Parts: sequence; structure tokens; C-alpha cells
Amino acid sequence: MFLDESLRRIKMLFRGSRFRKELQEEMRTHRELREQEYLDRGRNPVAAHREANRRFGNPATLQEKSYQSWGWSWLTSLVQDVRYGVRSMFRSPALTIVALLSLALGIGANTAIFSFIDTLMLRSLPVKDPAQLMFFGREGESGITDDIASTTLYSYPFFREMQKRNSVFSDVAALLSMLDTIHGTIEGQDAMQPMRVQLVSGSYFPTLGVQAIQGRALTEADDTTEGDHPVVVVSYAWWKRALASDPAVLSRKLILGTTKFDIVGVAPPEFFGTSVGEEPDMWAPLSMMHSVPPMWDGYKKNFWDGMYVIGRLKPGVSPEQATSNVNLLYQQIIRSFPDADLSERNLGYLQRAHVELTPMSKGLSSLRRRFSDPLRVLMGITALVLLIACANIANLLLARSTARARELAVRQALGAGRLRIVRQLLTESLVLALTGGLLGVGLARIADRLLLRMISGGPDLVPLDVSLNTHLLVFTFVVAVSTAILFGIIPAFRSTRLELTEALKDGRSSSSRGSSKSRVGKVLIVSQIALSLVLMVGAVLFIRTLMNLNNIDTGFNREGVLRLDIDSNVTGLKSDDPRMIAMFQQIEQRVSALPGVKAASFASFLFSQGSWSTSIRVVGQNLNDQVNIKHNVVGNGYLATMQIPLLAGRNFGPQDTATSHKVAIISEHMVKDLFPAGVNPIGHHYYDGLDALPDTEVEVIGIAKDVKFGSLQERPQYIDYMPNPQHPWGYGTLAVRYTGNFETVSRAVQQAIHSVNPRLPISNIGTLDEQVSRTLTYHRIVAQLSAFFGLLAVFLSCIGIYGLMSYMVGKRTSEIGIRIAIGASRASVRWLVLREIAVLTAIGIAIGIPVTLGASRVVGAMLYGLHGADASSVLASVVALLAVALLAAYLPARRAASVDPVIALRYE
Amino acid sequence: MHVKRDEIPPGTLYLLILKALSLHGPLHGYEMANFIQQRSEDVLQVEEGSLYPALQRMLLKGWVEAEWGVTAGNRRARYYRLTQAGRKQLALELSQFERVFGAIQRITQIA
Repeated sequence: MFLDESLRRIKMLFRGSRFRKELQEEMRTHRELREQEYLDRGRNPVAAHREANRRFGNPATLQEKSYQSWGWSWLTSLVQDVRYGVRSMFRSPALTIVALLSLALGIGANTAIFSFIDTLMLRSLPVKDPAQLMFFGREGESGITDDIASTTLYSYPFFREMQKRNSVFSDVAALLSMLDTIHGTIEGQDAMQPMRVQLVSGSYFPTLGVQAIQGRALTEADDTTEGDHPVVVVSYAWWKRALASDPAVLSRKLILGTTKFDIVGVAPPEFFGTSVGEEPDMWAPLSMMHSVPPMWDGYKKNFWDGMYVIGRLKPGVSPEQATSNVNLLYQQIIRSFPDADLSERNLGYLQRAHVELTPMSKGLSSLRRRFSDPLRVLMGITALVLLIACANIANLLLARSTARARELAVRQALGAGRLRIVRQLLTESLVLALTGGLLGVGLARIADRLLLRMISGGPDLVPLDVSLNTHLLVFTFVVAVSTAILFGIIPAFRSTRLELTEALKDGRSSSSRGSSKSRVGKVLIVSQIALSLVLMVGAVLFIRTLMNLNNIDTGFNREGVLRLDIDSNVTGLKSDDPRMIAMFQQIEQRVSALPGVKAASFASFLFSQGSWSTSIRVVGQNLNDQVNIKHNVVGNGYLATMQIPLLAGRNFGPQDTATSHKVAIISEHMVKDLFPAGVNPIGHHYYDGLDALPDTEVEVIGIAKDVKFGSLQERPQYIDYMPNPQHPWGYGTLAVRYTGNFETVSRAVQQAIHSVNPRLPISNIGTLDEQVSRTLTYHRIVAQLSAFFGLLAVFLSCIGIYGLMSYMVGKRTSEIGIRIAIGASRASVRWLVLREIAVLTAIGIAIGIPVTLGASRVVGAMLYGLHGADASSVLASVVALLAVALLAAYLPARRAASVDPVIALRYE
Repeated sequence: MHVKRDEIPPGTLYLLILKALSLHGPLHGYEMANFIQQRSEDVLQVEEGSLYPALQRMLLKGWVEAEWGVTAGNRRARYYRLTQAGRKQLALELSQFERVFGAIQRITQIA
């Protein structure tokens, strides 16, 4: 019944014009028949006509009433307004294009940045009740430590004890803090492919409340005894990509290392694990740790701390209760391990240790840690740009509304309500804003791909879902609508508040009104200039930061080095196997001998690849257990390859073998701070570790220049280099210093590697320079984007200035004509006009400077080699802004100066 | 002669139209106005145009259907016809009217 009625209403809407015509005809017929009747009764034609009409009533009102009964009148008037708005947009195409472009850019940029903020910071994990999940410790560390009192990384036995003894969690899960990226094989296929394996406890899936969409998830039964549960659950994306969504996926098998794994389940499509931006291809139980390369053996070790631990709070348990329970158990569990070394030193550590439980409803994310600051800053920048765009459009619309003053006055005089006109003007801005928003969404899609590529920094995209979602659409819609209101409301109210008679009398507005109108325009210009200055200085600061970082002396020569990774795990050999050591050396020799290659060497860490660090005890010095030395296990040609100068002593050579006395080359800074003054460090000894155990003794044979190790911003690090035979490291990064063509050398190097072992998978071929610049990714993004938006802001401001100037010049044509007629020189007229903009720009700059100084304090932490807004950056921006502002004003000024006084006066 | 316009008791226009259609069969607007006037022996005079908004609403409600036809005088006119739903509505309106009218009558008779 209701449905029928709605259907009829919709039908009426679509056949509206026909219904109208029919109704008109019907009513006309009616009146004519009545008229005829009166005529037939002998009335005169005039009286008959009048009487028929009187009896009928006002047909226009009646028609209106009839349509209203359809319930669509609001829609039809909206459609009218929209149509009118679109028409008026087309009437001034230049203005429309500028407005739409600035809106699309403003809204698009905001949406693009927001979509990253949304994925990284706002969205909850796709698991059951993510708000109940707690993370043990503060994220930020990953890896393995054998500390007695780590409060971020825990051992597997610790996790089991915590699971058994706590009273605050409904369940507890553990996962290895590192993703194992290995080369495995799908059974029945020859080619090896990289696979990212996440090792998790059997309780992982049950704790998260995630169920498989095919087969089953991992369970506690998979994680009971070590080594005999070769099963994996694969991710939906991997199933689709690597197995082409094979329906018989549960009968497929994988070979990781030397072990054959059964695929027992497929995870749901939305589940990407617990780390945002780090999607594993498959999950294997921790009981299989030793079968998954790099074949760790930490399953039963009480102090092999490499796990993250997650708990799901029982209903009604507060985080405080949970924290106190966890910390109590933490002390008990660690002290209860029979192999706990409860020396005085360790007890001190333990007493100070406090496990902080952090909510992890949004998952873990190293990306979030790295990018949340820059994203917030970028969001601020793009919001400012949008504001400028709004001010600009308001200004343009304001100028245009002068032209429409007469039209609006006529409509008001004819009885159109003020609200009705305001509504119509707002509808026009809404049309503009929503069109801009639509374009913006399209732009955001492209911008997101670009940004994703930028933050990925390498050939593979970071697995982040930045696609459109309701969050995002709501955001864009809100932005577009508030934009419309923001820039629509001023012109709307301003152009309806006018003295009708005056506007009707003269199409050109009276002087009093004109000046109040340009006052709003001036305020808008001043604020645009101020905001532009903020953005420009920001851009300059970020660009200079990037330049400073790029010019940092790394201590090594980053140019001309090829780097690649091999996966030595596929050999199935242990890293201290002499065959493995020999393989690395053989590759180094063959590659070094290639034409165009000057030197080549493996290293455990080239630059910013993580670290392995321990404390040391230097003979003759007091122990400082707060100092950590970063170790780098390298091939003999490493210093030569990297061109790190050796300041004293000798390099590694063939004499440094697994059985010879252990040696090390240490960094300049390590000598300066940690070795006794006045003693020649060459030949001096230290122990690797806190205790002076004989098998950890190392002799210093050389001193190398300081280099950057983890990041470009870091202070000088304590670094020692060790030869691979003495500290076997299953390393896989090869550095090759070469001259000539990259491609040719790269092909030759790969051939050389495969001539040693044809099965070695080679990946991530690139240059060292790229690897170094990748660490500047976020600085580069911020610099590029802020420069882009800064320029955009200035460009928009210039358009605004140009628009306002043209408007003012147009209004003052007659005044200028008089001035010229009485003998003012063209130059002085030009200056008269320019002076006005110069003053406005100066005011804008004066307001902008303190704002800039305040804003630059906010981004201080993101700068390098600069202290907030330094004078030269501000000065440069001020000069540039002044120059472009005057340039934008010059054209209208020149036009003003070329006014022909006769024509100008006659026109008036 | 100036007749006041609201001579049709408020709320009864639907009832009158429905009743007219049920008594006479299909009618166009002019006929409807005449029919109501004649049947009421010139007591009820409609502002004739107000028939049309009412008819639009009745079309929407599905109480009547409309079809173009030709009058006796060979003019094109839209004829309205009662539907099943219209008949039900008529019964409803009638009983409502009688209840109210009866009540008014009882009061006025006492007085």
C-alpha cells in the first residue's frame, strides 16, 4: 500500500512535465466549459469569462498545490537550484575551472592523507573485540635478546607460564617479533618464491577470535610438542596470488627449508595479522620454529627473548588490574627459571623492570611510528591549503556577485524570500564543492597510489589498504560540505543584504557598498598571504632538512655500489659450517674478479638494516653495561668496497680464520670513548659481553673511520667489524663496488653467484645509494609534498590577488581617469594601485610571521640541522611571497595605468 | 452574489468526490463540480479549482484512476473512475462522516 504510493510518487516525478501539461489542459478545459455554459445562458463574453475564472480560483496557486501533493516540491526546487548553479558555473568558465581545480586539489589532498591516517592510526584490527587486546610492553623493538629483563620481547617458556598462571586474560598468545622472509617451494613446482612466514603460538588465532574461511586455523594442538606439526595457515591474498585460489588448497603442500608443510587453512580476506603494513603470507606454529629458516632454536630456551606477547582481557578486568597481575607474575616467572642468572647485577635489572601493557586494538605498526608525525603535519598543510582555496573561491564569488547584484535585487523585489536566495546561492556553492569533492576523490585515488609507492620506497608496495571506505567517504563528504558552507556563506549573505532601490537604480554598485565588499576581499587576501607564508616557510624548512640529510657525511662512499640479497638458508647448511663460510668467500672472490668490479664483500648490515649489539668489557677499563657496541660481520673486502678509510692498523686477511686468534677492527669513536687514554688500541683486547670469558676475547687490529650505521641522523656509533669465519653469520647482503654499466655488472654478478651455487635465490638488486636515500623516505615525502602545497598555496593566493585587483581597478576606472586627466603620470597611477596590494601583502606577512614561528615549533622534531624557523628561511619566503604578490598585482595595475581618461569619464 | 468559499465543510471534499464517482460512474472535473452542485440542490458550491489538487492526492493514494476521453461536445477531457481502494475509502469516509454528523445532530437536537 505504502509501497504502491511511493511508486506512484516516483512515477510522477519522472513524468513530471507530462503531468503538468495534462493538469494544465484539464484545468483549461474546465474553465472553458464553464465559460461556454455562461455564454449559453446569455451572459456577455467578458462577464462569462470573469465569472468562470472567479469560480475556478487562481490556477497558478492550484497547480502549485497539486504538485505539492506529490511531495516532491523540495526536490524540484533543489533541481532548479542545481540547474541554475550549473548554468552559472558554465557562464564564467575560467572562474569555475580555477575554483574546481583548487577544490579538487584541496579536497583530494586532504582525502588522500586522511586515508593513510585512517589505515595507520584509526582503523581497528579486523578481529573479535580488538579493544580487549593488550600488548606486553611498548612496541618499537623487534629481534632477539638474551637479556634477563626485557619488557618488550619474551621467551616462549615465559609466554607459556604467563598463559598458565595469569588471572586477568581470557587467553594469551605469542608471536615471533620478526617475520621470516624465506624462499620456499610449492610442492609440484620447481621455482622458489619468497614467502613471509609468521611464527605464532597455537593460541594466536583463538585469542584473536579469527576463524579460517577454508579448513581450520592453528590451534593449541599444533603447538604442543616441538617439531612435529608441519602445518601452515595461508593468507587469503597469498592463496589467491600464489595458488590462483585453488579450491583444493587443503591438499597442497609447501617446502620451507627441508621440511614439507601441510596447508590446513586459509585466513579470512580481511585478516592481515597483527601488524599494519606487514602482511604475512602464512602462519606456522612456533613448535615448528626450528624447521623454518633461519632455523632458530628458541622454543625451549627460557632466555631466548624474541616473542611479542598479546593478551585478551577478561570482561570486567581493568588495564590497571591486568598490569599489576602481569608484573607480579613477571618477577615470579623469571626468577623461577632454573637457569636464571640471579647475579646482583641482574637482580638490579629485574627490580627496575616494569611491563607496561599497551592497548593494541589498532594493531602493531612500525609504519605508524614512522609516519604518524609526518602524516599529521601533512594533514595540517593540506587543511591550510583547503582553507586558502576556500578564501580564494569566496573572493572570486564575491567579485562575481557584484555582477549579479542587480539580478538578485530584481528577484528580491519580485518577492523572492531572502532565505530562498541564500539557499540558492548555497546550493550553487554546494554544487561547486561536491563536484570538487568528486574530482577530489578521483585525485585522492591516484595520490594514494603515489603516496603508497613513496612510503614503500622499494619495488614492492607496502601491503596497506588505502581503498575507499565509509570512514573516508564520510570524511570527504563532510569536508566538501563544510567547504561549501565556508566559502558560500559570506557571498550569500552579503549579496542579499542590500538596499534594493540603490542596486536597482544602478547596475554598478554604489561606492559605500563597494568598499565594504572589497573590505571582505582584503581580509581574505591578508589571511591568504599569512597562510601562504606559513606553508612556504614550512616547505623551505623541510626542503632544507632533506638537503641537510642528503649532504651528511656517511663515512662511506654511497655512490657506485651495487647491492643484492641472497638467501643462504636454501643450502640447508648452518652458518658455521665450513662449506657455508667457503661459499661466501668463493662468491666474493669470483665477483671481485669480474671486469668493472673493484671490490666486493658480504656484510651482515650494510646500512640501516637493523643491528646486532652487545655490551663489551675492555681490558683495563671499568664496565659500563649501558654501552652497546654494534657488531658488523663482514668479508675481508668490506672496507675497500665501502671505501671506509682505515686510520690505523691492518685489514682482515686470509690469516684470520675460524681457528686463529679472534680479531676486530673498531670505529674511531669507540677508541676515543671506551679505550684507556694514551694506550695504543692496536693490539689491545676486549671481551664481547659483560663477563670476561676466554672464548669472547677479541684483539683490536685496526681502527676505521666513523660511519653512519642505522640512520643518517644518528650520533657517531660504537661499531666493531668482525671477520665472517670467526663469527659465522648466515648473511646475505652482498656489496659490489663497480664502474660502468649497472645492468651489465648486475648480470655478471648474478652469473658469478650462480656459478658458485645455482640454487641461490637473488633478490632486492639495487644500489647502496638507493638504500641510503630510502631511509629518508619520510623526509622526502614531507619535503616534496610541502613544497608542492606551498607552491599551490602561493599560486592560489596570486589568483586571489589578481582577482581582487582586477575588481578594484574596474571599480576605480573613473577615478583613475580623472587622475590621468589632471596630469598624473602613468607610473604614479601604477604605483597607486600596486601600493594597495603591497600594503595588504605586508599586513599578511606581518600576521604570518608569528604564526609561522609558532607552527615551526610544532614540526621542530622533524627538522634536521635547523633550529625551528631560522631567519634566512623566513626571509627568503617573505621576499618570494612579496615578489609574486606584486607580480600578480602588476597586470591589473598596468591596465589601470593605460586607462584612456576620455573613455573612462564618458563611461561614467 | 458573493458566496463564501468554504461552504463545503472542511474534510468532506474527498467524500463528495468519491460519492459522486460511485453514484455516477466516470466523470471529468467540470462534470464533477456540476454533479456536486446539482445533487446538493445548489447548496454546496465548490471553488472548482480545488478539485484538482484533491484529485492529484487521490490519484497518489490510488483511490481513483484517470483516463483521457472525449466529451459529448467532442472535447478532450480526463475522466476519473473509482478504484477498489477508492470504494473502501468511500465506505470509511462515510462511516466517519456519519459518526461525526450523528454526534453533531444529537447535540443540536437536544438544544
